[in-house]
Amino acid sequence: MESIINIENVHKHFGRVHALRGVSLQIQKGEVLVIVGPSGSGKSTLLRCINHLEDCSSGNIIVDGIQLDSAQNINAVRQEIGMVFQSFNLFAHLTVMDNLVLAQKIVRKRKKQEAREIALNLLKKVGIPEKANVHPYQLSGGQQQRVAIARALAMNPRIMLFDEPTSALDPEMIKEVLDVMLALAKEGMTMVVVSHEMGFARAAAKRIIFMDEGQILEEAPPDILFTSPKHERTKLFLSKVLQQ
Amino acid sequence: MFTRREPKIDEQELTHIPGAEPQSRMDVWWWLVALVVGVIIILSVTMPDPYWNIIKFVRDGLKITIFLTVVSFVFVLLVGMLGGLGRISKNRIINLIATLYVELVRGVPLLVQLIWWYYAFPVIIQQIGKWTHISALAEYQANAIFVAIVGLVFCYGAYMSEIYRAGIQSVPKGQMEAARSLGMSYFQAMRHVVLPQAIRVILPPVGNEFISLLKDSSLVSVVAVADLTRRGREFMATHFNPIEVWTMVALLYLVLTLFSARIVNWIERRTKFER
Repeated sequence: MESIINIENVHKHFGRVHALRGVSLQIQKGEVLVIVGPSGSGKSTLLRCINHLEDCSSGNIIVDGIQLDSAQNINAVRQEIGMVFQSFNLFAHLTVMDNLVLAQKIVRKRKKQEAREIALNLLKKVGIPEKANVHPYQLSGGQQQRVAIARALAMNPRIMLFDEPTSALDPEMIKEVLDVMLALAKEGMTMVVVSHEMGFARAAAKRIIFMDEGQILEEAPPDILFTSPKHERTKLFLSKVLQQ
Repeated sequence: MFTRREPKIDEQELTHIPGAEPQSRMDVWWWLVALVVGVIIILSVTMPDPYWNIIKFVRDGLKITIFLTVVSFVFVLLVGMLGGLGRISKNRIINLIATLYVELVRGVPLLVQLIWWYYAFPVIIQQIGKWTHISALAEYQANAIFVAIVGLVFCYGAYMSEIYRAGIQSVPKGQMEAARSLGMSYFQAMRHVVLPQAIRVILPPVGNEFISLLKDSSLVSVVAVADLTRRGREFMATHFNPIEVWTMVALLYLVLTLFSARIVNWIERRTKFER
Protein backbone atom coordinates (compact mmCIF):
# COMPACT_ATOMS: atom_id res chain seq x y z
CA MET A 1 0.00 0.00 0.00
CA GLU A 2 1.25 3.49 -0.75
CA SER A 3 1.24 5.90 2.15
CA ILE A 4 -0.57 9.17 1.49
CA ILE A 5 0.63 10.94 4.61
CA ASN A 6 4.19 10.52 5.80
CA ILE A 7 5.15 12.14 9.10
CA GLU A 8 8.80 11.93 10.09
CA ASN A 9 10.12 12.86 13.51
CA VAL A 10 7.96 15.94 13.96
CA HIS A 11 8.54 18.30 16.89
CA LYS A 12 6.38 21.24 17.85
CA HIS A 13 7.08 23.89 20.45
CA PHE A 14 4.60 26.48 21.70
CA GLY A 15 6.97 28.81 23.51
CA ARG A 16 8.28 26.63 26.31
CA VAL A 17 5.71 23.90 25.85
CA HIS A 18 7.01 20.94 23.89
CA ALA A 19 3.74 19.76 22.38
CA LEU A 20 5.01 17.15 19.93
CA ARG A 21 8.15 15.19 20.77
CA GLY A 22 9.30 13.33 17.72
CA VAL A 23 6.17 11.88 16.13
CA SER A 24 6.57 9.58 13.15
CA LEU A 25 3.58 8.07 11.41
CA GLN A 26 2.58 6.67 8.02
CA ILE A 27 -1.01 6.73 6.93
CA GLN A 28 -2.10 4.55 4.02
CA LYS A 29 -4.44 5.56 1.28
CA GLY A 30 -8.00 4.68 2.24
CA GLU A 31 -7.09 4.08 5.85
CA VAL A 32 -9.20 5.27 8.75
CA LEU A 33 -6.93 6.18 11.64
CA VAL A 34 -8.26 7.18 15.03
CA ILE A 35 -6.06 9.11 17.45
CA VAL A 36 -6.94 8.97 21.14
CA GLY A 37 -5.22 10.30 24.22
CA PRO A 38 -5.71 12.59 27.21
CA SER A 39 -6.16 16.31 26.68
CA GLY A 40 -2.89 18.12 26.08
CA SER A 41 -1.30 15.01 24.60
CA GLY A 42 -0.75 16.66 21.23
CA LYS A 43 -3.46 14.90 19.17
CA SER A 44 -5.03 18.06 17.81
CA THR A 45 -1.64 19.67 17.30
CA LEU A 46 -0.55 16.70 15.19
CA LEU A 47 -3.72 16.93 13.13
CA ARG A 48 -3.28 20.67 12.65
CA CYS A 49 0.33 20.15 11.57
CA ILE A 50 -0.83 17.84 8.78
CA ASN A 51 -2.60 20.66 6.96
CA HIS A 52 -0.25 23.31 8.25
CA LEU A 53 -2.61 25.23 10.48
CA GLU A 54 0.37 24.90 12.78
CA ASP A 55 3.94 24.94 11.52
CA CYS A 56 5.93 22.10 12.95
CA SER A 57 9.18 23.22 14.57
CA SER A 58 11.22 20.42 13.04
CA GLY A 59 10.70 17.22 11.08
CA ASN A 60 8.97 16.47 7.80
CA ILE A 61 5.36 16.06 6.79
CA ILE A 62 4.79 14.81 3.27
CA VAL A 63 1.21 14.72 2.06
CA ASP A 64 0.42 13.11 -1.28
CA GLY A 65 4.07 13.33 -2.28
CA ILE A 66 4.31 17.07 -1.57
CA GLN A 67 6.42 18.38 1.26
CA LEU A 68 4.73 21.16 3.18
CA ASP A 69 7.28 23.92 3.30
CA SER A 70 6.35 26.89 1.13
CA ALA A 71 3.29 29.11 1.03
CA GLN A 72 2.53 28.18 -2.58
CA ASN A 73 2.18 24.47 -2.06
CA ILE A 74 0.44 24.84 1.31
CA ASN A 75 -2.67 26.17 -0.40
CA ALA A 76 -2.39 23.48 -3.06
CA VAL A 77 -2.10 20.71 -0.49
CA ARG A 78 -4.86 22.12 1.67
CA GLN A 79 -7.28 21.78 -1.23
CA GLU A 80 -6.68 18.05 -1.04
CA ILE A 81 -7.23 17.90 2.73
CA GLY A 82 -10.64 18.49 4.24
CA MET A 83 -10.77 19.51 7.87
CA VAL A 84 -13.66 19.27 10.31
CA PHE A 85 -13.40 21.21 13.56
CA GLN A 86 -14.74 20.65 17.03
CA SER A 87 -16.54 24.01 16.91
CA PHE A 88 -17.87 23.53 13.33
CA ASN A 89 -16.60 26.94 12.20
CA LEU A 90 -19.29 27.46 9.60
CA PHE A 91 -19.09 30.91 8.03
CA ALA A 92 -21.62 32.75 10.18
CA HIS A 93 -22.56 35.42 7.65
CA LEU A 94 -23.39 32.98 4.84
CA THR A 95 -26.24 30.56 4.22
CA VAL A 96 -25.56 26.83 4.29
CA MET A 97 -25.50 26.81 0.48
CA ASP A 98 -23.01 29.70 0.31
CA ASN A 99 -20.86 28.00 2.93
CA LEU A 100 -20.53 25.06 0.56
CA VAL A 101 -20.17 27.14 -2.60
CA LEU A 102 -17.67 29.83 -1.54
CA ALA A 103 -14.42 27.87 -1.63
CA GLN A 104 -15.52 25.86 -4.66
CA LYS A 105 -15.85 29.11 -6.56
CA ILE A 106 -12.75 30.97 -5.44
CA VAL A 107 -10.36 28.06 -4.91
CA ARG A 108 -11.57 25.37 -7.32
CA LYS A 109 -12.80 28.03 -9.82
CA ARG A 110 -16.04 26.19 -10.43
CA LYS A 111 -18.99 27.86 -12.07
CA LYS A 112 -21.77 28.90 -9.71
CA GLN A 113 -24.27 26.44 -11.16
CA GLU A 114 -21.87 23.51 -10.97
CA ALA A 115 -20.85 24.41 -7.42
CA ARG A 116 -24.49 24.63 -6.32
CA GLU A 117 -25.27 21.22 -7.78
CA ILE A 118 -22.31 19.65 -6.00
CA ALA A 119 -23.36 21.39 -2.79
CA LEU A 120 -26.94 20.19 -3.03
CA ASN A 121 -25.86 16.60 -3.66
CA LEU A 122 -23.61 16.72 -0.61
CA LEU A 123 -26.37 18.19 1.53
CA LYS A 124 -28.55 15.27 0.43
CA LYS A 125 -25.75 12.92 1.36
CA VAL A 126 -25.50 14.34 4.89
CA GLY A 127 -29.28 14.33 5.13
CA ILE A 128 -30.24 18.02 5.27
CA PRO A 129 -30.95 19.28 1.73
CA GLU A 130 -33.91 21.27 3.08
CA LYS A 131 -31.56 23.49 5.10
CA ALA A 132 -29.71 24.89 2.07
CA ASN A 133 -30.99 28.42 2.47
CA VAL A 134 -30.85 28.93 6.22
CA HIS A 135 -28.02 30.46 8.21
CA PRO A 136 -25.80 28.41 10.53
CA TYR A 137 -27.29 29.89 13.72
CA GLN A 138 -30.65 28.38 12.76
CA LEU A 139 -29.22 24.83 12.83
CA SER A 140 -28.59 22.43 15.69
CA GLY A 141 -25.02 21.49 16.52
CA GLY A 142 -25.33 18.14 14.80
CA GLN A 143 -26.72 19.74 11.66
CA GLN A 144 -23.96 22.36 11.70
CA GLN A 145 -21.32 19.68 11.92
CA ARG A 146 -22.88 17.75 9.04
CA VAL A 147 -22.82 20.93 6.96
CA ALA A 148 -19.17 21.39 7.93
CA ILE A 149 -18.41 17.87 6.68
CA ALA A 150 -20.28 18.58 3.44
CA ARG A 151 -18.36 21.85 3.05
CA ALA A 152 -15.05 20.02 3.32
CA LEU A 153 -16.21 17.29 0.92
CA ALA A 154 -17.27 19.85 -1.69
CA MET A 155 -13.60 20.45 -2.42
CA ASN A 156 -13.17 16.77 -3.36
CA PRO A 157 -10.43 16.18 -0.82
CA ARG A 158 -8.33 13.03 -0.87
CA ILE A 159 -7.92 13.12 2.90
CA MET A 160 -10.31 14.16 5.66
CA LEU A 161 -9.13 15.29 9.08
CA PHE A 162 -11.57 15.33 11.99
CA ASP A 163 -10.60 17.25 15.13
CA GLU A 164 -12.91 16.02 17.90
CA PRO A 165 -15.96 16.37 15.63
CA THR A 166 -18.50 15.26 18.24
CA SER A 167 -17.04 16.77 21.42
CA ALA A 168 -19.17 19.91 21.27
CA LEU A 169 -22.40 18.04 20.56
CA ASP A 170 -25.30 16.95 22.73
CA PRO A 171 -25.31 13.16 23.15
CA GLU A 172 -28.34 12.66 20.94
CA MET A 173 -26.73 14.51 18.06
CA ILE A 174 -23.48 12.57 18.12
CA LYS A 175 -24.95 9.62 16.24
CA GLU A 176 -26.10 11.62 13.23
CA VAL A 177 -22.57 12.94 12.75
CA LEU A 178 -20.92 9.57 13.33
CA ASP A 179 -23.26 7.96 10.79
CA VAL A 180 -22.07 10.41 8.15
CA MET A 181 -18.45 9.67 9.07
CA LEU A 182 -19.04 5.91 8.94
CA ALA A 183 -20.59 6.20 5.48
CA LEU A 184 -17.57 8.18 4.38
CA ALA A 185 -15.21 5.55 5.77
CA LYS A 186 -17.08 2.82 3.86
CA GLU A 187 -16.54 4.76 0.61
CA GLY A 188 -12.80 4.43 1.14
CA MET A 189 -11.96 7.98 2.18
CA THR A 190 -8.64 8.40 3.94
CA MET A 191 -9.56 9.70 7.37
CA VAL A 192 -7.59 10.82 10.40
CA VAL A 193 -9.91 11.23 13.34
CA VAL A 194 -9.14 12.65 16.76
CA SER A 195 -12.03 11.38 18.84
CA HIS A 196 -12.98 9.51 21.95
CA GLU A 197 -15.91 7.82 20.26
CA MET A 198 -14.78 4.26 20.83
CA GLY A 199 -17.82 2.88 19.05
CA PHE A 200 -16.78 4.69 15.89
CA ALA A 201 -13.18 3.57 16.32
CA ARG A 202 -14.28 -0.05 16.66
CA ALA A 203 -16.56 0.12 13.63
CA ALA A 204 -14.39 2.08 11.21
CA ALA A 205 -10.76 2.29 12.28
CA LYS A 206 -8.07 0.00 11.01
CA ARG A 207 -5.60 1.37 13.54
CA ILE A 208 -5.83 3.33 16.74
CA ILE A 209 -3.01 5.48 17.97
CA PHE A 210 -2.66 6.36 21.61
CA MET A 211 -0.80 9.60 22.27
CA ASP A 212 0.53 10.91 25.55
CA GLU A 213 2.76 13.90 26.27
CA GLY A 214 3.46 14.61 22.63
CA GLN A 215 4.46 11.08 21.70
CA ILE A 216 2.82 8.07 20.13
CA LEU A 217 2.81 5.60 22.97
CA GLU A 218 1.06 2.73 21.29
CA GLU A 219 -0.62 1.76 18.04
CA ALA A 220 -2.76 -1.26 17.28
CA PRO A 221 -6.00 -2.35 15.64
CA PRO A 222 -8.96 -1.34 17.81
CA ASP A 223 -9.89 -4.77 19.20
CA ILE A 224 -6.29 -5.43 20.24
CA LEU A 225 -5.78 -1.99 21.80
CA PHE A 226 -9.08 -2.17 23.66
CA THR A 227 -8.61 -5.67 25.01
CA SER A 228 -4.89 -5.86 25.69
CA PRO A 229 -3.10 -2.51 25.80
CA LYS A 230 0.64 -2.77 26.37
CA HIS A 231 1.25 0.33 28.48
CA GLU A 232 -0.07 1.11 31.96
CA ARG A 233 -0.87 4.65 30.77
CA THR A 234 -3.01 3.34 27.92
CA LYS A 235 -4.81 0.93 30.25
CA LEU A 236 -5.60 3.72 32.72
CA PHE A 237 -6.87 6.01 29.97
CA LEU A 238 -9.00 3.37 28.28
CA SER A 239 -10.51 2.22 31.56
CA LYS A 240 -11.80 5.77 32.06
CA VAL A 241 -13.01 6.31 28.51
CA LEU A 242 -14.60 2.89 28.00
CA GLN A 243 -16.52 3.15 31.26
CA GLN A 244 -18.83 5.70 29.71
CA MET B 1 -25.04 43.16 -0.46
CA PHE B 2 -26.50 41.71 2.72
CA THR B 3 -29.89 40.16 2.93
CA ARG B 4 -32.25 41.11 5.66
CA ARG B 5 -33.85 38.45 7.81
CA GLU B 6 -36.76 38.68 10.10
CA PRO B 7 -36.10 37.49 13.64
CA LYS B 8 -37.73 34.17 14.43
CA ILE B 9 -39.16 35.28 17.74
CA ASP B 10 -40.82 38.51 18.56
CA GLU B 11 -38.00 40.34 20.31
CA GLN B 12 -40.22 43.20 21.31
CA GLU B 13 -42.48 40.80 23.12
CA LEU B 14 -39.61 39.29 25.11
CA THR B 15 -37.81 42.45 26.09
CA HIS B 16 -40.71 44.75 26.57
CA ILE B 17 -39.72 47.76 28.62
CA PRO B 18 -42.44 50.39 28.62
CA GLY B 19 -41.41 53.50 26.75
CA ALA B 20 -38.22 51.95 25.39
CA GLU B 21 -39.50 50.22 22.26
CA PRO B 22 -37.61 50.78 19.00
CA GLN B 23 -40.80 52.35 17.68
CA SER B 24 -40.71 55.12 20.25
CA ARG B 25 -37.04 55.88 19.55
CA MET B 26 -37.99 56.29 15.93
CA ASP B 27 -40.68 58.80 16.90
CA VAL B 28 -38.33 60.78 19.09
CA TRP B 29 -35.95 61.07 16.20
CA TRP B 30 -38.65 62.24 13.80
CA TRP B 31 -39.77 64.80 16.34
CA LEU B 32 -36.21 66.05 16.67
CA VAL B 33 -35.76 66.41 12.92
CA ALA B 34 -39.15 68.06 12.57
CA LEU B 35 -38.23 70.41 15.36
CA VAL B 36 -34.85 71.40 13.93
CA VAL B 37 -36.07 71.70 10.35
CA GLY B 38 -39.16 73.53 11.61
CA VAL B 39 -37.11 76.05 13.54
CA ILE B 40 -34.92 76.68 10.49
CA ILE B 41 -37.96 77.20 8.24
CA ILE B 42 -39.83 79.38 10.73
CA LEU B 43 -36.77 81.56 11.31
CA SER B 44 -36.10 81.96 7.57
CA VAL B 45 -39.70 82.74 6.75
CA THR B 46 -40.51 85.07 9.61
CA MET B 47 -37.16 86.81 9.66
CA PRO B 48 -35.61 86.46 6.19
CA ASP B 49 -33.20 89.17 7.27
CA PRO B 50 -30.87 87.89 8.61
CA TYR B 51 -31.75 84.14 8.68
CA TRP B 52 -32.55 83.49 5.02
CA ASN B 53 -29.58 85.66 4.06
CA ILE B 54 -27.34 83.56 6.31
CA ILE B 55 -28.55 80.34 4.69
CA LYS B 56 -27.96 81.73 1.21
CA PHE B 57 -24.52 82.93 2.25
CA VAL B 58 -23.32 79.70 3.89
CA ARG B 59 -24.82 77.38 1.25
CA ASP B 60 -21.47 76.92 -0.54
CA GLY B 61 -19.88 76.18 2.81
CA LEU B 62 -22.50 73.56 3.54
CA LYS B 63 -21.71 71.85 0.22
CA ILE B 64 -17.99 71.91 1.00
CA THR B 65 -18.56 70.47 4.45
CA ILE B 66 -20.59 67.59 2.99
CA PHE B 67 -18.09 67.05 0.18
CA LEU B 68 -15.11 67.07 2.55
CA THR B 69 -16.77 64.67 4.96
CA VAL B 70 -17.95 62.16 2.37
CA VAL B 71 -14.72 62.12 0.34
CA SER B 72 -12.54 61.96 3.44
CA PHE B 73 -14.63 59.19 4.91
CA VAL B 74 -14.27 56.98 1.83
CA PHE B 75 -10.50 57.26 2.17
CA VAL B 76 -10.69 56.85 5.95
CA LEU B 77 -12.42 53.49 5.40
CA LEU B 78 -9.62 52.39 3.07
CA VAL B 79 -6.75 53.67 5.22
CA GLY B 80 -8.40 52.19 8.29
CA MET B 81 -8.65 48.78 6.65
CA LEU B 82 -4.99 48.85 5.64
CA GLY B 83 -3.98 50.13 9.09
CA GLY B 84 -6.10 47.50 10.82
CA LEU B 85 -4.64 44.69 8.71
CA GLY B 86 -1.18 46.12 9.44
CA ARG B 87 -1.86 46.13 13.16
CA ILE B 88 -2.68 42.42 13.17
CA SER B 89 0.04 41.50 10.66
CA LYS B 90 2.61 38.96 11.78
CA ASN B 91 5.18 40.71 9.58
CA ARG B 92 7.15 42.75 12.12
CA ILE B 93 7.98 45.65 9.83
CA ILE B 94 4.40 46.12 8.62
CA ASN B 95 3.17 45.78 12.19
CA LEU B 96 5.70 48.35 13.43
CA ILE B 97 4.78 50.88 10.74
CA ALA B 98 1.05 50.48 11.44
CA THR B 99 1.54 50.73 15.19
CA LEU B 100 3.75 53.81 14.90
CA TYR B 101 1.22 55.48 12.63
CA VAL B 102 -1.68 54.81 14.97
CA GLU B 103 0.14 55.80 18.15
CA LEU B 104 1.72 58.97 16.73
CA VAL B 105 -1.43 60.26 15.11
CA ARG B 106 -3.64 59.56 18.09
CA GLY B 107 -1.28 61.51 20.33
CA VAL B 108 -1.53 64.80 18.43
CA PRO B 109 -4.62 67.05 18.37
CA LEU B 110 -6.41 67.13 15.03
CA LEU B 111 -6.23 70.92 14.93
CA VAL B 112 -2.44 70.82 15.25
CA GLN B 113 -2.25 68.13 12.57
CA LEU B 114 -4.34 70.18 10.15
CA ILE B 115 -2.17 73.24 10.73
CA TRP B 116 0.94 71.11 10.22
CA TRP B 117 -0.34 69.75 6.90
CA TYR B 118 -1.28 73.22 5.70
CA TYR B 119 1.74 75.25 6.82
CA ALA B 120 4.61 72.82 7.40
CA PHE B 121 4.05 70.10 4.81
CA PRO B 122 4.23 72.36 1.72
CA VAL B 123 7.48 73.89 2.99
CA ILE B 124 8.99 70.42 3.36
CA ILE B 125 7.93 69.57 -0.19
CA GLN B 126 9.44 72.85 -1.45
CA GLN B 127 12.70 72.15 0.36
CA ILE B 128 12.90 68.67 -1.14
CA GLY B 129 12.23 70.26 -4.52
CA LYS B 130 15.10 72.68 -4.04
CA TRP B 131 17.53 69.95 -3.02
CA THR B 132 16.57 67.65 -5.84
CA HIS B 133 16.14 70.50 -8.39
CA ILE B 134 12.67 69.34 -9.32
CA SER B 135 10.90 72.61 -10.03
CA ALA B 136 7.40 71.10 -9.77
CA LEU B 137 8.08 70.31 -6.13
CA ALA B 138 10.01 73.51 -5.40
CA GLU B 139 7.03 75.59 -6.53
CA TYR B 140 4.49 73.43 -4.71
CA GLN B 141 1.55 75.38 -3.31
CA ALA B 142 -0.89 73.70 -0.97
CA ASN B 143 -4.45 73.36 -2.22
CA ALA B 144 -6.50 74.03 0.89
CA ILE B 145 -9.19 71.42 0.21
CA PHE B 146 -6.66 68.78 -0.78
CA VAL B 147 -4.62 69.42 2.35
CA ALA B 148 -7.73 69.37 4.49
CA ILE B 149 -8.73 65.97 3.10
CA VAL B 150 -5.21 64.61 3.63
CA GLY B 151 -5.19 65.88 7.20
CA LEU B 152 -8.62 64.50 8.05
CA VAL B 153 -7.91 61.13 6.41
CA PHE B 154 -4.51 60.83 8.08
CA CYS B 155 -5.97 61.47 11.52
CA TYR B 156 -9.24 59.58 11.25
CA GLY B 157 -7.53 56.70 9.44
CA ALA B 158 -5.57 56.01 12.61
CA TYR B 159 -8.66 55.82 14.78
CA MET B 160 -10.40 53.75 12.12
CA SER B 161 -7.43 51.33 12.07
CA GLU B 162 -8.07 50.52 15.69
CA ILE B 163 -11.76 49.97 15.00
CA TYR B 164 -10.95 47.61 12.14
CA ARG B 165 -8.39 45.80 14.29
CA ALA B 166 -10.91 45.27 17.05
CA GLY B 167 -13.53 44.16 14.53
CA ILE B 168 -11.24 41.64 12.84
CA GLN B 169 -10.13 40.30 16.20
CA SER B 170 -13.75 39.89 17.28
CA VAL B 171 -14.27 37.30 14.53
CA PRO B 172 -13.49 33.87 16.04
CA LYS B 173 -10.14 32.44 14.94
CA GLY B 174 -11.88 29.30 13.70
CA GLN B 175 -13.42 31.27 10.84
CA MET B 176 -9.99 32.05 9.40
CA GLU B 177 -8.80 28.50 10.07
CA ALA B 178 -11.79 26.97 8.34
CA ALA B 179 -11.30 29.23 5.33
CA ARG B 180 -7.59 28.45 5.15
CA SER B 181 -8.23 24.72 5.52
CA LEU B 182 -10.41 24.90 2.39
CA GLY B 183 -7.39 26.15 0.46
CA MET B 184 -8.12 29.89 0.50
CA SER B 185 -5.16 32.23 0.72
CA TYR B 186 -4.87 34.65 3.66
CA PHE B 187 -6.28 37.51 1.61
CA GLN B 188 -9.10 35.45 0.11
CA ALA B 189 -10.08 34.35 3.61
CA MET B 190 -9.90 37.95 4.87
CA ARG B 191 -11.95 39.28 2.00
CA HIS B 192 -14.65 36.62 1.81
CA VAL B 193 -14.92 35.37 5.38
CA VAL B 194 -13.38 37.58 8.08
CA LEU B 195 -13.95 41.14 6.85
CA PRO B 196 -17.64 40.70 5.96
CA GLN B 197 -18.22 39.57 9.54
CA ALA B 198 -15.92 42.19 11.06
CA ILE B 199 -17.64 45.00 9.17
CA ARG B 200 -20.99 44.15 10.69
CA VAL B 201 -19.46 44.25 14.15
CA ILE B 202 -17.79 47.61 13.60
CA LEU B 203 -20.72 49.35 11.94
CA PRO B 204 -21.85 51.23 15.07
CA PRO B 205 -18.40 52.68 15.88
CA VAL B 206 -17.80 53.38 12.19
CA GLY B 207 -21.06 55.30 12.08
CA ASN B 208 -19.95 57.28 15.12
CA GLU B 209 -16.69 58.08 13.37
CA PHE B 210 -18.60 59.44 10.40
CA ILE B 211 -20.58 61.77 12.61
CA SER B 212 -17.43 62.83 14.50
CA LEU B 213 -15.70 63.49 11.20
CA LEU B 214 -18.62 65.60 10.06
CA LYS B 215 -18.32 67.73 13.17
CA ASP B 216 -14.52 67.83 13.25
CA SER B 217 -14.47 68.93 9.62
CA SER B 218 -15.34 72.36 11.04
CA LEU B 219 -11.67 72.55 12.13
CA VAL B 220 -10.59 72.90 8.51
CA SER B 221 -11.98 76.43 8.64
CA VAL B 222 -8.63 77.47 10.18
CA VAL B 223 -6.69 76.32 7.11
CA ALA B 224 -8.48 78.48 4.57
CA VAL B 225 -11.18 76.03 3.53
CA ALA B 226 -14.47 77.85 3.04
CA ASP B 227 -16.60 75.28 4.84
CA LEU B 228 -19.81 75.89 6.73
CA THR B 229 -18.03 77.20 9.83
CA ARG B 230 -15.75 79.53 7.90
CA ARG B 231 -18.61 80.91 5.85
CA GLY B 232 -20.44 81.59 9.08
CA ARG B 233 -17.47 83.52 10.39
CA GLU B 234 -17.25 85.50 7.16
CA PHE B 235 -20.90 86.44 7.41
CA MET B 236 -20.47 87.51 11.01
CA ALA B 237 -17.44 89.64 10.08
CA THR B 238 -19.56 91.77 7.76
CA HIS B 239 -22.89 91.77 9.55
CA PHE B 240 -21.91 91.64 13.25
CA ASN B 241 -24.73 89.38 14.38
CA PRO B 242 -23.12 86.44 16.24
CA ILE B 243 -26.31 85.08 17.81
CA GLU B 244 -28.18 84.68 14.54
CA VAL B 245 -25.19 83.36 12.54
CA TRP B 246 -23.96 80.78 15.00
CA THR B 247 -27.44 79.59 15.92
CA MET B 248 -28.15 78.95 12.24
CA VAL B 249 -24.78 77.26 11.67
CA ALA B 250 -25.38 75.05 14.71
CA LEU B 251 -28.86 74.12 13.43
CA LEU B 252 -27.47 73.22 10.01
CA TYR B 253 -24.82 70.96 11.56
CA LEU B 254 -27.55 69.41 13.68
CA VAL B 255 -29.63 68.54 10.62
CA LEU B 256 -26.60 66.87 9.02
CA THR B 257 -25.69 64.83 12.09
CA LEU B 258 -29.27 63.76 12.83
CA PHE B 259 -29.71 62.54 9.28
CA SER B 260 -26.34 60.75 9.34
CA ALA B 261 -27.24 59.04 12.59
CA ARG B 262 -30.44 57.79 11.04
CA ILE B 263 -28.72 56.49 7.93
CA VAL B 264 -26.18 54.67 10.09
CA ASN B 265 -28.98 53.17 12.14
CA TRP B 266 -30.78 52.05 9.00
CA ILE B 267 -27.66 50.33 7.64
CA GLU B 268 -27.09 48.64 10.98
CA ARG B 269 -30.57 47.20 11.04
CA ARG B 270 -30.28 45.93 7.49
CA THR B 271 -26.98 44.12 8.02
CA LYS B 272 -27.69 42.56 11.39
CA PHE B 273 -26.86 38.87 11.64
CA GLU B 274 -26.61 36.31 14.38
CA ARG B 275 -23.80 34.01 15.30
